[in-house]
Amino acid sequence: MQSTRPLVRPTGFDRMLAPLHRWIWRDHERRVHKLMRFGETETDGGRDILRAAEVTSDPLLRRLYLVHAIDELRHGAMFRQRAASLLQALRSSSKPVFRADWLAPGGHGADDLEVDGESDHSMLAFLHLSEKAAASRFTVYRDVLRDDPPTYAVFDEILHDETFHMNYTLTQLARISPQHHRRHIWRARCGRLWKAYLRVASALAGVIGTLLMTVQYFVLMPPFAWLAKRGARRECQGWTAADPDAGDSLTRQY
Amino acid sequence: MQAIRSRDSIDAGSMKILGISAHYHDSAAALIIDGMPVCAVQEERLSRRKNDAAFPLLAIEWCLQHAGLEPDDLDAVVFYERPMLKFDRILTCALRAFPRSWQTFPEAMKSSLGEKVWVRGTISSYLGVPSRKILFTRHHQSHAAAAFLAAPTDRAAILTTDGVGEWATLTVGHGTRGTNGGTTITLPREVRFPHSLGMLYSAFTAYLGFAINEDEYKVMGLAGYGRPTVVDKVRRLIRQTADGAFALDLDYFEFHSTARRSYSSRFVDLFGLPRLAYEPIDLSSADGQRFADCAASVQCVLEDTLVTLARSLHEETGLSDLCLGGGVALNGLANARILAESGFTRVFVPPAPGDAGCALGAALYADRIHFGSPDRDIPDHPFWGPSVDGMELARIASEDGHAVDRCEDEDVLIGQTADDLAAGRVVGWMDGALELGPRALGHRSILASAAGTEMRDRLNREVKFRDEFRPFAPVVPIEAADRYFEIPAGGARLARFMSAVFRVRPEWRAALGAITHVDGTTRLQALDREMSPRLYALLQAYGQRTGVPVLLNTSFNLSGEPIVNRAVEGYSTFLRCGIDVLVAGQTRVTKKTSEVSRE
Repeated sequence: MQSTRPLVRPTGFDRMLAPLHRWIWRDHERRVHKLMRFGETETDGGRDILRAAEVTSDPLLRRLYLVHAIDELRHGAMFRQRAASLLQALRSSSKPVFRADWLAPGGHGADDLEVDGESDHSMLAFLHLSEKAAASRFTVYRDVLRDDPPTYAVFDEILHDETFHMNYTLTQLARISPQHHRRHIWRARCGRLWKAYLRVASALAGVIGTLLMTVQYFVLMPPFAWLAKRGARRECQGWTAADPDAGDSLTRQY
Repeated sequence: MQAIRSRDSIDAGSMKILGISAHYHDSAAALIIDGMPVCAVQEERLSRRKNDAAFPLLAIEWCLQHAGLEPDDLDAVVFYERPMLKFDRILTCALRAFPRSWQTFPEAMKSSLGEKVWVRGTISSYLGVPSRKILFTRHHQSHAAAAFLAAPTDRAAILTTDGVGEWATLTVGHGTRGTNGGTTITLPREVRFPHSLGMLYSAFTAYLGFAINEDEYKVMGLAGYGRPTVVDKVRRLIRQTADGAFALDLDYFEFHSTARRSYSSRFVDLFGLPRLAYEPIDLSSADGQRFADCAASVQCVLEDTLVTLARSLHEETGLSDLCLGGGVALNGLANARILAESGFTRVFVPPAPGDAGCALGAALYADRIHFGSPDRDIPDHPFWGPSVDGMELARIASEDGHAVDRCEDEDVLIGQTADDLAAGRVVGWMDGALELGPRALGHRSILASAAGTEMRDRLNREVKFRDEFRPFAPVVPIEAADRYFEIPAGGARLARFMSAVFRVRPEWRAALGAITHVDGTTRLQALDREMSPRLYALLQAYGQRTGVPVLLNTSFNLSGEPIVNRAVEGYSTFLRCGIDVLVAGQTRVTKKTSEVSRE
């Protein structure tokens, strides 16, 4: 199968990971899960871009953002529909699968951007880089899905739109900030790196927190669990008389 | 709606109380000054994230700005529940489910200990108010206050029911309003978690492939297509206790132990495979009918249980009025049956009976009961949010080359809009202040002709982009309601805020096909002229043109989005769907079809 769409060249990093992506997408259940996740990401991104359309004071940007947002929302629907079709075929299967989300990240939802507080140039720079990264990744995903023509076609169509998004954001950035548009892109690039670091750091903190809590759960909780279960057995069902003092003081948190 | 107040216009001696609900779903803020609500808004309407549960900073900022206040001016900030008591429930349930809860325990602790239990500190640090000014009501006290203190009644029985608050899932009691500070709300009995009508319904919501805490109304809509063929099976899940309350058979549920799934494998054994969220509901298939029958059955059991509880409460209190609060009070079918069968002659449901309304309820509870302020009648409408600016719409629509009319003559604007509706056009209607609560009651509505099922299908397909089975609601002048709908005594009150489902008169079902559900019912709004004079005038004008003053009224939002607030949000929605005309204030915009070049 050969796409007739304009070619987006994946980055070297994404090309290098192509075998890994091929492995990730090979499993059908994982494929469904990833398509659903992409559907959610595209929809969330679409809503954020819609918000950008609502807050910008530039009429041309408003129209372009709106077209962009509609595209993203449509992409979300396309991903969901494709996932639903695959899901029907998989309905009886329920084996747990390693989902590898972080190995094959989704689209480019602007969910870590405070849209209301962003200037037009920072929004455009952010969107340009996000679209570029998504186009690169989606090219790899499309190419590893040649054995699944309908899913291939979904990525192929979306890639066409991503190319438009990538180009218009750069053109408009150059229009509204002709002197400094490269600087804005570099700042957005640094911002993305910083946010990536924050995501990794918070994910790591989450893992450590989960680990500590799990250890505490098994080490400290058993006697309290025994007491709680004993208390539950004594609890009668039906009406419970409310604590007569419950409403007396609004200063209590208990 | 009042304009933004100046600080000088507020009496320094008046009591200023901010109510807040947050951290579960649908956070909101509400401000009352001197016993009267001044404003209230849900965070989602400002943040544009549906069911936004975050601490409602935007809503608080807007409320304070609207009233011309600084946080220092507040006499009290009231949070709608007791966070430590809620934490007690979460921890206890995790311990009771030991060791099955090992996966959910870390998440629950991180979520609670990370933010939710430190509400006093959060409020204090965000607003800079001293801790002594921060108060906490109980979750169901907030529901009860929102339902009772805003209702036009002096004495009423109170029934609140939702998924869960701190421990209580359902409370009963009564309230008395006193002009000399003698207002009381007494809730002597409660049913405690995990026995919860809200959670029972939510388990079926999840089983039917819908989102919990969001899509329960879809289950109600789906119920209309089914028959209660599995009521006996549902009754295995919930039984009446000897004292007249109810208890769930917890073997069929998992919400209390893992929080990863609401229902257990035994539930699936009983009802069959669940529906997958992305799978369309095909009502012509055996599975589709099975899902509709499940919805109809759980709806039937919910109604029966609520009617039994309400009837017993009526016998116990001997009162004629009942105030319903909590998220379950959004179930219009159940509300209609309670009115018809419980013995109460009047049933009051506030426009925001869910958690968003608790912001207002908590503030009112603190004012009337904690501070003992004299009772005051609350304006009987839901319009407490930001006002729409028609000039904003005129500016942006002109910039985009759409046809814009500024009609200073109200009659002309109403006439033009009635003509549009009579011609089958779909109208986005933004008027005055935003509603508090999930229903669009005429200030942020999509309006259309109620005649013919084609309009229903067109709206589902081209405007709302949602499931085919979803019904639409009508709005009708209160004086004409009885002609088209079977409204029992006391029903008009429930229809004020679209809180009940009534039958369309058989002879009008075909003519009102767009709003008549498959079972011949509809969730009616009977409009009082004083509540929304412009919409009332529009209904009259439409009635003069078509002979039937009934319009389809659905919320002004697309699937998955919150109801629009500002004109620009209405405008972007207008451009993305099949709405033909947009009216905001005195501005009327008709759509031009044009594409931005992709080259």
